[in-house]
Amino acid sequence: MTLLDFARGPAMFWAMTIMVIGIVWRLAGAVLLARRRDRSVPRGDNRLVAGLRAVAMRSVPPHELEKSITFQHITGYAWHLGWFATLLFFAPHIPFLKSILGFGWPGLPNQAIVLLAAVTLAILVALLVRRMIHPVLKVISDFDDYVSSLLACAPLVTGIVTYAHLFADRHETMIGLHILSVEALMVWLPFGKIFHCITGLPLRFQIGATYARRGVKA
Amino acid sequence: MNTTANAAEELAAFKKLAQGIAQLASAAPPVDLPAAERVTRAKHVFIQKIDAQVALDLESCLHCGMCAEACHFYEGTGQGRYAPIHKLKLLRKVYRRELGPFRLVHRLLTRDLTAAELEQWQELVFDSCTECGRCDMICPVGVHLSRGVHITRQALAAAGLAPAELRALDAEQKRTGAIFGAGVELLRSALDTLRAQGIQAPLDKPRADYLVLTTAPDLLIYRSSIAATARIMNHLGVDWTFASNAFEAANSGALSGDEAAQRQATQRIVDAALACGAKFVVVPECGHAYPALRWEGPNAIGRDFPFEVLAISELLGREIDSGRLRLKPLAPGKRVTFHDPCKLGRKGGVFDEPRKALAALGVELRETASKGTTNYCCGGGAGVFLIGRAAPLRAAAFRIKRDQFDATGAESVVTSCQSCRMSFAAGAQQNNWNVPVESLVELVANNLAAPETTRGPTT
Amino acid sequence: MRDVLVGDYLRSRGLTRRGLLKFCAAAASWMALPPTLAQEIAAALEKARRPSVIWLPFQECTGCTESITRADSSTLESLIFEAISLDYQHTLQAAAGEAAEEARRRAMQDNWGKYLVVVDGSIPLGNPGYSTIAGVSNADMLREVAEGAAAIIAIGTCAAFGGIPGANPNPTGAVAVRDLIKDKPIINVSGCPPIPVVITGVLAQYLTFGKIPDLDALGRPRAFYGQTIHDRCYRRPFYERGQFAETFDDEGARKGWCLFKLGCKGPITYNACATIKWNAGTSFPIEAGHGCIGCAEPNFWDKGGFYEPLSMARWGSAGTLAAAAAAGAAVGTASALLARRRQTKAAEGEPR
Repeated sequence: MTLLDFARGPAMFWAMTIMVIGIVWRLAGAVLLARRRDRSVPRGDNRLVAGLRAVAMRSVPPHELEKSITFQHITGYAWHLGWFATLLFFAPHIPFLKSILGFGWPGLPNQAIVLLAAVTLAILVALLVRRMIHPVLKVISDFDDYVSSLLACAPLVTGIVTYAHLFADRHETMIGLHILSVEALMVWLPFGKIFHCITGLPLRFQIGATYARRGVKA
Repeated sequence: MNTTANAAEELAAFKKLAQGIAQLASAAPPVDLPAAERVTRAKHVFIQKIDAQVALDLESCLHCGMCAEACHFYEGTGQGRYAPIHKLKLLRKVYRRELGPFRLVHRLLTRDLTAAELEQWQELVFDSCTECGRCDMICPVGVHLSRGVHITRQALAAAGLAPAELRALDAEQKRTGAIFGAGVELLRSALDTLRAQGIQAPLDKPRADYLVLTTAPDLLIYRSSIAATARIMNHLGVDWTFASNAFEAANSGALSGDEAAQRQATQRIVDAALACGAKFVVVPECGHAYPALRWEGPNAIGRDFPFEVLAISELLGREIDSGRLRLKPLAPGKRVTFHDPCKLGRKGGVFDEPRKALAALGVELRETASKGTTNYCCGGGAGVFLIGRAAPLRAAAFRIKRDQFDATGAESVVTSCQSCRMSFAAGAQQNNWNVPVESLVELVANNLAAPETTRGPTT
Repeated sequence: MRDVLVGDYLRSRGLTRRGLLKFCAAAASWMALPPTLAQEIAAALEKARRPSVIWLPFQECTGCTESITRADSSTLESLIFEAISLDYQHTLQAAAGEAAEEARRRAMQDNWGKYLVVVDGSIPLGNPGYSTIAGVSNADMLREVAEGAAAIIAIGTCAAFGGIPGANPNPTGAVAVRDLIKDKPIINVSGCPPIPVVITGVLAQYLTFGKIPDLDALGRPRAFYGQTIHDRCYRRPFYERGQFAETFDDEGARKGWCLFKLGCKGPITYNACATIKWNAGTSFPIEAGHGCIGCAEPNFWDKGGFYEPLSMARWGSAGTLAAAAAAGAAVGTASALLARRRQTKAAEGEPR
């Protein structure tokens, strides 16, 4: 079995399986803990609406808060958008996604994708460096943060190298490494902070609804 | 309007109280416990307090550090350890090791909570956090950080690690029901003074619709606030009373993290309200007292409240809407800015009502750049004003507020919390800042439209 | 016949010196050698002895033989083919039965240590009876004939890597030549079938230089297997621009766009199809509108499917994911319930 056969075969099966088991396990284990009953009388705000509002509006904080986080806010969303655009709109990826979802969609031109991927990678590297030198991030960052950052970079690095045929006589190996890098990310996803992709929106809803009880737009 | 004499009196009283606060620490010697016992007790609290909502918080943080950018203590000092999420580190550790879905792995791969960490975290969750919730507003995934800090305070308190000043007040209130020695005798004498001025101030009516509370800073320093409250209640013509066995709105257990004390203080007020059949309990201009009673009260005692809890500033807005509170506008052109106390605003939900009162007074309201849900805390909330060694932190927070106020060009700052007032007074002294800070209640009481009428039963 | 020099033999067949030089120039370019070597190659061929070649057909479809003997428009390759002394080859030889086996034994005896063995087809190890010649199992015959060989050329993916018989589930236990013979030089000329001129090119190289050509990690001559189809494919610009045919008869297909999405394995297949092409340079699968199936690579039959793009991977099925989710839910729920019990106990044990 070549590296590529392994990556396209058992590695993908187990990465996907472990990812699904991990996500559901962690989610169930957290949300099925006890829930406290709040006996206080809530204000009249509609908590469902408030929760949904928070889901949307946390991405657009009020100006007086946003001005303290502008760089990180913009680069944070930029790299997420670029990363997902690369994943979803690079033509060779689409048949794979179609095999899972049952439907496909048109891709973007390769040059646009490679540009997006390069910019995304540059932002990720910049944010990684920032994480190591910023007074707050230096204190709060741990193993999970660094591993997650590297695993976000790895598919971009391997993807760009593969696409550019930098190791032309080892192209099948590079394809294999690229697929393996994605599998590593999938396996890590349920166990590190990348799990926020599952819990982030529900949590925004939660805080919006919680503060809405007290009549506060969070 | 505060006369110069009044202001001087208040300043003197304030300095006296500040001295009293400075001596609090000596009233509560350190709690000596073996390290293992501290850890056990802290864990015991953490384990009980972590519910599904807290778990979702702890599973979602991405260590982006934006919470720090919203925190006045980080902004004022640049110290990374004041990042709000860092304050939750012990909470997360215990969750992951004791209750989390992968606890078996975490127990193998990480080290357990230590007493040294608990001691280290005292500064982080007491000195450098007022539980103001500004970080809660910015977190991109919606982690409820202030709740996590509060739980950690409770865990540390159980481990004997609440700061001395807070433990001292805690002990006093558990013993006497009062704080700073402001007991029932002081209340009686304050009310006598009011009556001598012609202001009705009923005490211990067997039945009343409104149970009105007061607080030690009012009794000791801001007597005019009590007068103002009484005048307003009389103007409204409602059936109200003070209660000699439940007049202190402050809840030191809510500040120190002592749940038993918090429950006790809440129960005292509830019992008095039930005894006189009150439909409303009015909380004076004291910050934490409002959410402690309004939002946490029923949960603390495990019973629904049959009465409504109102902050005095909230009552003002409501009664302006109902038409019962009639104000005469001030001379035009008075520029004020309003400071939303964190516990009344973000933690209480009282934003609009004070502004209605200011609108009725006809002042020109100049809002600070951060206001309402994004307002900066005064730096003294959640008992931080009482912690001596937190003075440099409070000073840094004050400078942020001062700059916000100065930028509005307002002639005075109006607020509705004595703790904020005292924080600003302290900061003004240190920084030679001359902008007056006024109480909303006093401002309203000094501008009532019609003469006070006595409707309903009198004392 | 065997003692005649190659040069004399070729002339006896009507090949002029000019014709020989033309072939040698072409051979030089196939082998990525400088064209100036054409003269040297010609000189070497002149003096080379016609080597004895024993062709062993094992578990094969005869496609490799057909490929080589498809006498195309060029006779040069077939001439080189005839420049060897093919002393044993089932399809082409006149003799049959015991006479054929006797011819083989004599060729081995007369040229011991010097004869070339050409193998096509895989060797079944599951049961010796699956494929035999004159009652001798393929494995036994290979070992016997390999003993005196100078080198073995494994023609076709079956002989080189196990090929189609070796595909999952490999019912006959098919193996490649290199799996059985460890002590002789083996040149793997893979492909299903290999390009005719690649076979003759390898033979020409051996005849010319008398030694094994430069081989890649899979034992294939780098001269022909050094690059991927992808790197020499004329449709590569469309790949770069992201213009892909989605079906075999859509607009992209008609415009000759890249066949990646239709399963082309060009990027991972090393062969000379894109340059040398088939049928005397007429075309190759991609040019004809079908993706490369990777037939020169080991296990090409088991790489997920000819129409499955390289970017596909076997992630399981809706069923396996549902099972995984159920397993996760079960463990997660148990974890939460146990945690709740712990919390309840902690609350009960609390001193008031």
